[in-house]
Amino acid sequence: MSKHVVVIGAGVAGMEAAGRLAKSGYDVTLLEKESTAGGHINDWYKLFPDRRNSSEVKEYLEDLASSEKIKILTGTTIEKFNMKGSSYLLMTSSGENLHADAVIVATGFDLFKSSRKEEYGYGIYDNVITSADLEAMFRKGRIIIKNGSAPKTIGIVHCVGSRDEKVGNLYCSKLCCVTAVKQAIEIREQLPESNVFCFYMDMRMGGAHYEELYREAQEKWGVNFIRGKVSEASENIDGKLIVKVEDTLAGRPLKIEIDMLVLMAGMEISEGGRRLAEITGLNTGENRFFASTDHHFGSNISNLEGVFYAGTCTAPMNVTETISHARAAVMEVQDYLKKDIV
Amino acid sequence: MNIEGKKVIWKDYQKEIADDKFYYVRSCVRQNFFPGSETAFLKIMRDVLGKDVYEHPCHTTCTGIGYHSDIVPVETTMTVVARQFALMNEVGYENLLPSCITSFGLYTEILDTWHHFPAVEEKIRIQLKKATGREFTIPKNLAHASDVIYKFRKDIALKAKYKLINKNTGEPLKVVDHIGCHYSKMFPSKGVGGAEYPYVLTGMIEEWGGKIIDYPERRHCCGFGFRQYLVQANRGFSIACSKEKFESMQPYKPDMIITNCPGCPMFLDRWQYVINEMEGKRYGKNGEGIPVFTFEEVAGLVLGYDPWDLGLQMHQTDCEPVLEKMGIEYSHEDKFQLTADNKSELLRSFING
Amino acid sequence: MENYYDLLMQDIRFEEGLNACMNCGVCTAICPAAEFYNYDPRKIVDIVQTKNNDQILDLLKSEEIWYCGECMSCKTRCPRGNAPGLIIMALRSLSQDLGYFVESEKGRQQLAIKRTVGEWILKYGYCLYLEGVGTSLHPEQGPVWDWVQDNWKQVFKRLGANYQGDGPGILRRIPQEAMDEIREIFEVTGGMSRFQKIEEFSKKKAEELNMKLDDGIDNEYFRHIYKADNKTHTRS
Repeated sequence: MSKHVVVIGAGVAGMEAAGRLAKSGYDVTLLEKESTAGGHINDWYKLFPDRRNSSEVKEYLEDLASSEKIKILTGTTIEKFNMKGSSYLLMTSSGENLHADAVIVATGFDLFKSSRKEEYGYGIYDNVITSADLEAMFRKGRIIIKNGSAPKTIGIVHCVGSRDEKVGNLYCSKLCCVTAVKQAIEIREQLPESNVFCFYMDMRMGGAHYEELYREAQEKWGVNFIRGKVSEASENIDGKLIVKVEDTLAGRPLKIEIDMLVLMAGMEISEGGRRLAEITGLNTGENRFFASTDHHFGSNISNLEGVFYAGTCTAPMNVTETISHARAAVMEVQDYLKKDIV
Repeated sequence: MNIEGKKVIWKDYQKEIADDKFYYVRSCVRQNFFPGSETAFLKIMRDVLGKDVYEHPCHTTCTGIGYHSDIVPVETTMTVVARQFALMNEVGYENLLPSCITSFGLYTEILDTWHHFPAVEEKIRIQLKKATGREFTIPKNLAHASDVIYKFRKDIALKAKYKLINKNTGEPLKVVDHIGCHYSKMFPSKGVGGAEYPYVLTGMIEEWGGKIIDYPERRHCCGFGFRQYLVQANRGFSIACSKEKFESMQPYKPDMIITNCPGCPMFLDRWQYVINEMEGKRYGKNGEGIPVFTFEEVAGLVLGYDPWDLGLQMHQTDCEPVLEKMGIEYSHEDKFQLTADNKSELLRSFING
Repeated sequence: MENYYDLLMQDIRFEEGLNACMNCGVCTAICPAAEFYNYDPRKIVDIVQTKNNDQILDLLKSEEIWYCGECMSCKTRCPRGNAPGLIIMALRSLSQDLGYFVESEKGRQQLAIKRTVGEWILKYGYCLYLEGVGTSLHPEQGPVWDWVQDNWKQVFKRLGANYQGDGPGILRRIPQEAMDEIREIFEVTGGMSRFQKIEEFSKKKAEELNMKLDDGIDNEYFRHIYKADNKTHTRS
């Protein structure tokens, strides 16, 4: 009889893990709290570093997860989680009881709620938006400010909700710098008359082809990079935003008038992940993401036997890393379940 | 601008403000420049709100101005503050109520430091005992005078004789709220509404009929800067800061400015006069200036107290435009009256209720 | 030579104010002094955290550390939880205790503050005691202040003060026993020592500059430090 694995979360990691588990011969129940699968891949427009369509990745995942051995339950959360013998008994929000021989937690991330960075005025000043809001504008094919016109001067703020004691997130979210560079290029492409400023503390271009994208943004697209963390944004009587920042390389404080401010919101453990940690007793780390037992050779392993992690529920990761991490989680499940076979 | 976004933040930054039995410590700046405000504050607290407010005759300055102009060492200031606490303990009060924002910021800072560094608190205990024989306990509650008026703003509204409304147009007066830097910039959680969108004065204005203006330089320091004002050679800094604020608020056509720090209203008031003297530039409608008030003065006007009992005659920028707009009855002749016999009667009745 | 970083670490404000700076610049971006003066709080913190003794000594002697207005807008925003304003306060304290404050035009002004605010604290128990401090020293106070000064006692009586009176009230006479306690606190905690150092180092500087320095505020050196501006301080 096939072993049954429950995967919690049908985003990139969950769908990849479910698909690989099915290919390996396991029965899979894939749970998703939203009404559709896909997670954040549903929201992105084009993916860095090569700006390919996110829909291509989504199609790949949907294809992979379309196996008969996978049962997808959307609009469903876990309400109870108990160990029973050598397996787990999960009760879903629709009252269904699931016996799992192993569990993969793939609850992903939420973007930092930018309204918490009060001095940027998100939710208060009309033309302060987040990177996610901007992706939505890209998907609709229109970048506009509140009065319906196209912005001329756009500012992009790095590190919103990351590397910041004031909001309680000391860590770097890793992907915001390359997202900022990608979005800066996309703005310049759609609005050739625009002037784009990236306000950064450091340029964290640590993935393959990221640094080259940064250079392209400067050389080909004329994006301006100013080394300084934005201190505050305010709105003047014309609805324009006034941004205060220091150009630290020149050693001068600046006051810049811009039409639209884009906040690069960082990553946090998802709300679903937080709740799951509470009901399962899974450990979280100082950065509040799930804590795997070893940074180097145990990043999929949790403190509960038979429960494994896949993807950004453990740390900020890009799509490539998430898929690799999910495949590694499947390998851990295989090793774990083979133990019963003599 | 989406006010709902601010309301969420205001909800997050609530603060414990004591209800009664306050121990009042006075402000050096207010006593010299706005004596009418402290008089009005005590009158409102005792006669209107029926509160017990005690003032110890032996309390002194907290040395805040000396501390922030760096002539007074940190341990000296801490020990003077410890003495303030000891005097409060002596008369059985637990709720510290400073009149000055710098004091409030200083008490908050010292309590926070002692919390994180108990060895420092211990050292100050020893020094206070050695110097004065006194011992102290930490206040149970610390709230600035503006926090308390904020807390009881609805009671004041119920007893109000006037509203912050332009009687000619029926429109709410447009009010700039200027918060003293040391109120919440150091410890946002200790200020009503936090540091970015403080609510302590906004709440008062909204309750009393006015409308608050947000403008780009709302959070900018007025420019006191302690040593930057005290020494003549540095005063350019001080006036430059205030001027930047005036230039930023002017397009919004404010009717008045309300403040909670004792120094800010003095600067925002006087620098308008100086800018006019130096550059011929005037703010406000038709260059009438933008009158600047302490929160006690605004509360007093709303309650119907005579402007000259409140001390508005000590302002350099005339307050009459606001009095006219609010429809307040006042006597122009009495503005600079001192102690004519009938005035003493009025004053006695004002103070004694 | 002394280790200035170690000396700074003895000031609790320094320990609280410095938690490793990553040079993001939010402090300078929001600093009112950085707008108008040749001042950059980020640079000051960056220098201090290198622990370089020579550079810290330069700071103690510099104009730079006297531009801050201690508004603490920097503390609100710093993502590392630093407070450049508190670091400045520690630098200023050390500069005075070691006598380096007299090497800068702005630093020399400390004597003016000590002889006004400082004396008022010890003599009256108030940081400001302004009867007689009129528009000759403070022209910006305007004509209304002339009226207040001319009618001081009556104005204050009119507004409910207890000027120089016994018991509670505005600008009351603070009892001698209380003033004695304040003086004793200053003695025990190093406040008097600080005041004396400000006087001694200033006297030496006045001699060096060949200026007369008597007691009080009506002398050549006082007038010089109160008004002198070598026009190098502000951003063009």
